[in-house]
Formats: sequence, C-alpha cells, structure tokens
Amino acid sequence: MATEEKTKEIKAKLRNAVIQYDEDASKEAAQQALNEGVDANDAIFNGLVSGMEEVGRLFEAQEYFVPEMLMCADALYAGLDILKPHVKQLDLGVKGSVVIGTVEGDVHDIGKNIVKMMFDVAGFTVYDLGRDVPLDKFVQEQMKTDSDLVCLSAMMTTTMTGMKKVIDDLRAKNPNVKIMLGGAPVSQDVADKYGADGYAKDASNALKDAINMVSSLKKLKDEAEAKKKAK
Amino acid sequence: MKTSLRRELLDHGATVVGFADLRGFLSGEISHLGRAVSIGVDRRLNEDTLSLLVKLEKRAVRFLKARGHRTLAIPPDSDRRKGTFISKLYSLFNHKMAATSAGLGWIGKNGLLINIDHGPRLSLGTVLTDAPIRPDIPMEYGLCGGCILCTEHCPSKAITGAEWSRSAPFVELVRLSACRSHKATKRATDGKPNCGLCINICPYGRKEANADCGMRNAE
Repeated sequence: MATEEKTKEIKAKLRNAVIQYDEDASKEAAQQALNEGVDANDAIFNGLVSGMEEVGRLFEAQEYFVPEMLMCADALYAGLDILKPHVKQLDLGVKGSVVIGTVEGDVHDIGKNIVKMMFDVAGFTVYDLGRDVPLDKFVQEQMKTDSDLVCLSAMMTTTMTGMKKVIDDLRAKNPNVKIMLGGAPVSQDVADKYGADGYAKDASNALKDAINMVSSLKKLKDEAEAKKKAK
Repeated sequence: MKTSLRRELLDHGATVVGFADLRGFLSGEISHLGRAVSIGVDRRLNEDTLSLLVKLEKRAVRFLKARGHRTLAIPPDSDRRKGTFISKLYSLFNHKMAATSAGLGWIGKNGLLINIDHGPRLSLGTVLTDAPIRPDIPMEYGLCGGCILCTEHCPSKAITGAEWSRSAPFVELVRLSACRSHKATKRATDGKPNCGLCINICPYGRKEANADCGMRNAE
C-alpha cells in the first residue's frame, strides 16, 4: 500500500492529466497508481473524475471549448481503461444500469457519448444503443435489461418529437422507469410536457449534470460505507 | 518562439515546418485555435512516417503547452482514427489547407500538396494552437504551369486539369469517384489498392530528375 503522500501525489497527477488533456500522462499516472497499490476507486473518483469536474467548471466559465473538453474526456478514458479492471464493485445501494441512445433520425452523439462516459465512470452498466436508434428499440432494451434509467438524446427539433413516443411507451410498460432527456432543442418545458424525470440543457450541461450525478453517487457511496461501519 | 519550435521539429526528423494563421477559416468548434503548425515528412506513406509525424506532433504540443498555450493535434491519418471523442472533430479540418496557408506548397492538378523541393511526397500533420505565432507567407496560386503529366498518366482519367488557387478552393481537381473506382478495381485484380501514379510522375522533387539519379540506378 502506498503512503498517504504518494497516493495524494498520484491522484494529483491523474487530475492534472485530465485537466491538461494529456493522454500519455493519464496512462502513466494510472499505471503508477496500480504499481504503488493505490485503490482504483479512489484513483478514479478523487483523481480522474475530480479532474473532469474542474474541466466542467472551466467549460462553463468559457475557459475551455468543445475540443478541449473532448480531449479531456479522452484523457480520462485513457486512465480509466487501465484502472477499471481493478475496481472493486461499488456498493451504491442503487441498481446501476442505464439504457442510452440518440433517437431515430438523429446522428449527433457527441453529447450522448460524454454522458455515457460519466455513467461508465460511476460504475453503471451502460447499454449504449448508439445513434439513430429506432424508437421501439428503447422500450425493448429497457424490458430486456430491466434498467431503471433511460437516457434519450436528440439534436434536432424534428427528431425530438420521437422522444414523446418513447416516453409514453416506456410509461405504459413500466411506470417506475426514470427517464432523462438531453440535446440542443430540449428544454425543461419540453421535458415536463413529455413527462420525463430529468433534463440536461445541452452538451455542457449534460456533462455538468452527469458530474453532479457522479458526485451524488459518491455521496451515496460514502453513506453506504458509513452505514456499513455503523453496523 | 517560432524559430526555436521550427528548429526543434526539424532537428527531430521533420522535412518542412510551416506556420499559418487560419483565423476566420476554421469552423466554429475549433475557431479559437487560430494558428497552425504544419509539419511535413518526406517519405512514402508507411507506419514509420505516421509514427514519426505523431511523435513530432507530440513534441510540438509539449513545446506549446509548456509555454501556456492550448493545442489540438490532428493526427496524419485522422480519417482512420475512430473511437475517441476528439476524432469526431477531425473531419472539420484539412491538413492541405493548413499547409498551403503556411506556405509549404500548393495544391497540384492531382489534388495533392506539392512542395517545391519535395513534390507530392510529403506526409502532413498539423497542430492547432492559440499561440500568437507570426505566420509564414501563404501560397496563393499553384506552380504547376503547363505541366499535364499527371493528367495524362492517370489511368482512370480522374484528373480534370483544373488549377487550384486560394481564391477558388472548391474547383474540382480530381473526380474522386473515378479515382476510387480505379483503386477498387486494382484491389480486386492484384490485391494492391494503391495507384500513386500521379505522385510518382510529378516532376517536382522527383529523385530521377536530380543529380543523384546514379545512386538510384545503383540500387
């Protein structure tokens, strides 16, 4: 087991690698974390994800733009690929599976992929349907995998209307499923009108929401651990 | 900064290095990275050339980042890079456009970048940055002149013979469908998809045309 100081240093390296969108540094630091015996969960959440949170903030402050954010996400994935096999299953107290996709007629999936990445990091099982997904497929996949979260993305007003159908179908089959919407033409009003549970304004807010989600998951995780200790 | 970066890249294997000011010519997503470092390596397109170019790009990225600038390296084989987030943006960008803007050459009748010393035999990589580098003088017109060697030798008659200039960048130089179908036929008959006649025939930078032709014959 690594000393506390060393652990801290490695986590800072991971964090900086993501912020500086340096894939090589991210891989190197992730490998170092494994060699030094740093807990993989700790390295991911307090290293990589903490870096991505800062990136989200920089993006919101218009300090970073789309290319930087995408490169940061790539750097995060580079480190994550190395660390992930060593992650112990998180005990989050929630069933972590989600169906995600861009609705029929729409091929814009950058935002969706970033949201997917954050779910990946959070330890969810992600069933990515990809882009231009036939509307029935969402319902089928949800039934098949019994996921409790469905995320729909659309970048155009013409394809956005497809979301309503998916939501209605999902609700008819399974009233308990949670549904999140994202994409440029979607607004809180639309989400309310369509009967969705959650909404992200655009790619940047989807990222922010995903980060919030991961942060709250972290909280859940801490609580779960605290409970375990109390027992 | 410009001179030392150019020096460093040339020292580590780059054949030519140019700097371009692309402000106003880039699509919205990448428009804040208005300067380009265009790197050319003179070799046939093979794994070594690509890995050397990638290494040079990393070197340029490190150099610029160390001085507090942002960078976006576009790999030489950007069309084949899939699966990363940033690869979605590669299609917004054109290496040849950066290279002509950096004065490394012009677009020949064969649709390739022609460098005056190395002809169409350069592989290109580009690093976009927001560093305020003083740009080199861009090429405005092609220097192909009356030469129609590539037009005549093209087995699929794909080369239209039109001339490129910066003011008319969308003139059709090569009928891509004809070129592509020829390559497909070639792949089906002898297994090699590459044609490359328009590269070999170009007199700019051709080895046979130079004094060292004796060396080539000896090989």
